[in-house]
Amino acid sequence: MDSLFLQYLLNWLVLGSIYTLVAIGFSLLFGLLNVIHFSHGDVSMIAPFVALGSLQFLLGITSSTVGIGPILLVLALAILVTGVIGIAADRLVISRFRQAPAMMALVATVALGTVVRELIRGFYPQGSNPKAFPSIVEGFVTLNSLRLPALPVLIIATTVLVIVLMAALMQKTPIGMRIRAVAEDAATARLMGITPSRIFAFTFFLASAVGALGALFFASYAGVVRFDFGVQLGLIGFSAAVIGGLGSMTGAVLGSLAIAGIETLVQANMADGASYRLVFCFLLVIFMLCVRPSGLLGKPVFEKV
Amino acid sequence: MSTTLTQTANRTGLPASLVVTVTEIAAAALLLAFLAAESTVMVVALLALMGAIFAGLQLWPQLEEVIVRAFHDARALATALALIIILIYPFFLGNNTYALHLLIVALIYSTLALALNFQLGSVNIPNFATGATYGIGAYTSALLAINFGWSFWATLPAAAITATVFGFLLGIPSMRTRDSYLALVTIAFGIVIQQLLNNLSWTGGANGLVGIPAPSLFGHSFMSPIEIAGRKLPPQANFYYLSAALLGLAILSAKRLHESRVGLAWNAIRADELAAKCQGINVVWYKILAFGVDAFLAAFAGTIYAFYISYISPDNFTFLVSVTIMTMVIVGGMDNTLGVILGAFLLTMLPEKLRVFSDYRLLFVSVVVILFLILRPKGLFPQRQRHYGEK
Repeated sequence: MDSLFLQYLLNWLVLGSIYTLVAIGFSLLFGLLNVIHFSHGDVSMIAPFVALGSLQFLLGITSSTVGIGPILLVLALAILVTGVIGIAADRLVISRFRQAPAMMALVATVALGTVVRELIRGFYPQGSNPKAFPSIVEGFVTLNSLRLPALPVLIIATTVLVIVLMAALMQKTPIGMRIRAVAEDAATARLMGITPSRIFAFTFFLASAVGALGALFFASYAGVVRFDFGVQLGLIGFSAAVIGGLGSMTGAVLGSLAIAGIETLVQANMADGASYRLVFCFLLVIFMLCVRPSGLLGKPVFEKV
Repeated sequence: MSTTLTQTANRTGLPASLVVTVTEIAAAALLLAFLAAESTVMVVALLALMGAIFAGLQLWPQLEEVIVRAFHDARALATALALIIILIYPFFLGNNTYALHLLIVALIYSTLALALNFQLGSVNIPNFATGATYGIGAYTSALLAINFGWSFWATLPAAAITATVFGFLLGIPSMRTRDSYLALVTIAFGIVIQQLLNNLSWTGGANGLVGIPAPSLFGHSFMSPIEIAGRKLPPQANFYYLSAALLGLAILSAKRLHESRVGLAWNAIRADELAAKCQGINVVWYKILAFGVDAFLAAFAGTIYAFYISYISPDNFTFLVSVTIMTMVIVGGMDNTLGVILGAFLLTMLPEKLRVFSDYRLLFVSVVVILFLILRPKGLFPQRQRHYGEK
């Protein structure tokens, strides 16, 4: 019973971690721009494909197994490339809707997500087929008397580290202060000598890079990646951010844990759990929003008359 | 405003009836050419022609005013001529059943887009669940027909009532949430419905429902061809007339609602919810009403679709369907009936006509949508000012 419980606990925390990494991006961008970057999931899903492609390239050169150093390099490259694509997505599409009604940006980013998916499907070698994705680490780690599989531990530990680093970045560094200043009031921030466009670019890079990490973990944990995985990951990440309260990082974490929790519970306790998983996730979303319309940690919005 | 309009119309010296006749026949001919076009060159040339016409309307706004004015003045003629064109249209398509099929799908999607327009266009409620209410309508009627032997005509109101109940249910959270949060509630609702259709056993699961019987009217089965004056129309023509009638109903209700107090209240809520509330408008009721009206029309469209294709599966009612319908409204022009229908026709036919690009057409259409949103954010035909008083 103990090992089964541990299994579920690990599963819950891993899913929660992956969703958190995606949800943080939604929260960060919404806090700054008041825009829902609906293609965030699809942009993040570019990372596993970059990683797979460059890994195959490396294998082609060395024609032997790849060591841990090159693997880290490949992962870093994938995260970097995805971050830059995040900036490009903003420059090419999203930035055009800064003054437009929120609905426009929403629909445009949904279309942008389709563009990203279709580009992968159409131009990545055999892009429409599912591809096996290797586990980043193999084996087990031993903590006291506990013997835990290494990958979940790595995912959870990395996510905790990322959250701590992000919080430190936002609260303790000059760039974090600038981001918060622009989020508060872009016009005044400009008067204070801050260039909002640079802050936007940096934030898009950060959000996409963290999302890329989430997508890499997701692919590695599932062992497989497909061009359209980004839709569901994006939808769940977005839901997690909204449940927690858009714009709040702690909220993103709580929302992710809530969604991952209900997913794990349903899968553990229902006969048909796997197929009804999404139904319960999104019923939770509806229920939460009806009970707390601005999310768990979202500030209630007061209207100015 | 009205005097200047009359003057412009007079200055051209053209009688309203002539303007109406030429416009309607030209539009019908253009659509016919587009439907019949098979080669890429032809499709691209026709798209260029449409673009040119549109640019012309853009450069000379008086032209648009003249046409609008003419339709206003010769309303009876315009309606009669439109009815005649719609009635005889299938004869010009001959045995091109593919073109007829495209036309039917475009008509059904136009109805759906008009239904969504009650929310998105009139009240500015981002509803991403039109695909779900459409699906509820289709499944209700199909299940009643297959399991209980109900006729098409009996399932029609049953489906509409069921979907409206769901629409009201979905409307309840709109009392509490708004904007992005409301958008997410509708997305979640759409996914829950789609996943349930996909997993429950009595909805046929992922396999869907097969063998929905064809409707019949006064002993004439919709499976059999129509024969008029020695000319035979393919069986699809039955559904063409049916979906055209539904679109007519949708246009009529859109017009009546737009001109009524309800439409005015909706527009007031769109302009400023708080101000509308202060004016004594029951904001919650009108928002929920918008959900109900949308669901009612979408269910009609779903029923016709189910009986036309005779096979439905959860894949027909995904989140992407809702997004497509929403795109039609935005590309066409919010709160403008003609614009919404044009958007629906364009976005239904474009992917089909771009089969030459086969693998890349979804990519192409998405890029076009993004360009549209950037270059023409108010849609092809933006909403027009309301007219009061003079007929």
